[in-house]
Amino acid sequence: MPQKTRPVERIAAAVAKCPHESAAYGKCVLADYNNMSKDKCLAEFLRLKECFTAAMKKR
Amino acid sequence: MRPSLGRFGYPKSVRGYAVQAPGAPTLDVFSRRTKWLQKERAARDAETSRKVDYVRDEVAARLCERLLDIKRHFPHVLDLGANACNIARILTRPNPDSYSAAPVYEPLSSRVSALTAAESSRSLLHRDEDLPFNNEIAITRHLLASDETLPFAPHTFDAVLSSCSLHWVNDLPSVLTQVNNILKPDAPFMAAMLGGDSLFELRTSLQLAEMERRGGIGIHMSPLADVRDVGGLLQRAGFRLLTVDVDDIVVDYPDSFALMADLQAMGESNALAGRDVPPIRRDVLVAADAIYRALHGNDDGTLPATFRLIYMIGWKEAPQQAKPLERGSGMVSIKDVLEGQRTGGKSGNR
Repeated sequence: MPQKTRPVERIAAAVAKCPHESAAYGKCVLADYNNMSKDKCLAEFLRLKECFTAAMKKR
Repeated sequence: MRPSLGRFGYPKSVRGYAVQAPGAPTLDVFSRRTKWLQKERAARDAETSRKVDYVRDEVAARLCERLLDIKRHFPHVLDLGANACNIARILTRPNPDSYSAAPVYEPLSSRVSALTAAESSRSLLHRDEDLPFNNEIAITRHLLASDETLPFAPHTFDAVLSSCSLHWVNDLPSVLTQVNNILKPDAPFMAAMLGGDSLFELRTSLQLAEMERRGGIGIHMSPLADVRDVGGLLQRAGFRLLTVDVDDIVVDYPDSFALMADLQAMGESNALAGRDVPPIRRDVLVAADAIYRALHGNDDGTLPATFRLIYMIGWKEAPQQAKPLERGSGMVSIKDVLEGQRTGGKSGNR
């Protein structure tokens, strides 16, 4: 059976390429997680998403 | 037609009986069809399915260890919700107590004359049919039409085991009562089910991610029974001499995607009934992974996932069975015992 890469594996690989952005976003959420609201960490997430999207395209 | 009048000129009221629907009304929390589909799909890829058996195997092993404490021969045992017959495979292992230095035991299967493995997913039930362990234990595979109706005669089994499957049952009181019914008197029911705070890391990360990204939370994980409920449930089903305890299995994963992929391969994805929420968005998944890492991640970069297992043992009532002593008949004060231990053993406080 030919092994094909599942979408979830592609996402995992792309996320793994952005450890700094991921850590920054995580830190931002963690800073005040009892009082979460929409787009609280938008800036950090957009940076993470930019890196993630680039990593997804690269392969 | 005029209504007939009573003594004081009022129409005679007609009273009906207040009738309750037979049995307690039950609410289906989980969709049985969804769960069945997930299991069937998962088991079709036998190789992947076997790879993710680690939780079920470990739980089955810990459950079977408890059988060692009962010095009996079991002519006929039921494995309820057998998944891929993990209990049968563990029973045939030479030494079920992997943590003890004690000498190697005879496989537990030598104390079981016949094992019936009952499961509603055909592919999962027959997945390991061709493996060698099937020859070492007299196993019958029984395909259940429904996980919640047990088609066995009363007083059939000398023990009922169940590992990692009761957490998908909608009407647990009914199933436990049926189990009690099919047991012979003075026969044990031993089960392990996922419960309580299982996978709380994933749950909290997804919730935080959805709140931050979308401003609200969706239900992506099925609810689980709580430890506190289990004792009451067993008692309600008529079991005696109850034992309930909790055990955590923590598994480290490289990332949250690996965890979710494994859960899917186990056939343990969310199966809430009326699940009209769309799949989780990719943005949320990416966010949840970052939050999981920040909130719960290990120092070495792996992500821990806690599987909390509730083990329960209950015995069917029998006249000659040992009974708890009368209230107030205790001769030793537990307070003295505990305090004696704390102060390094007072002498002569028996």
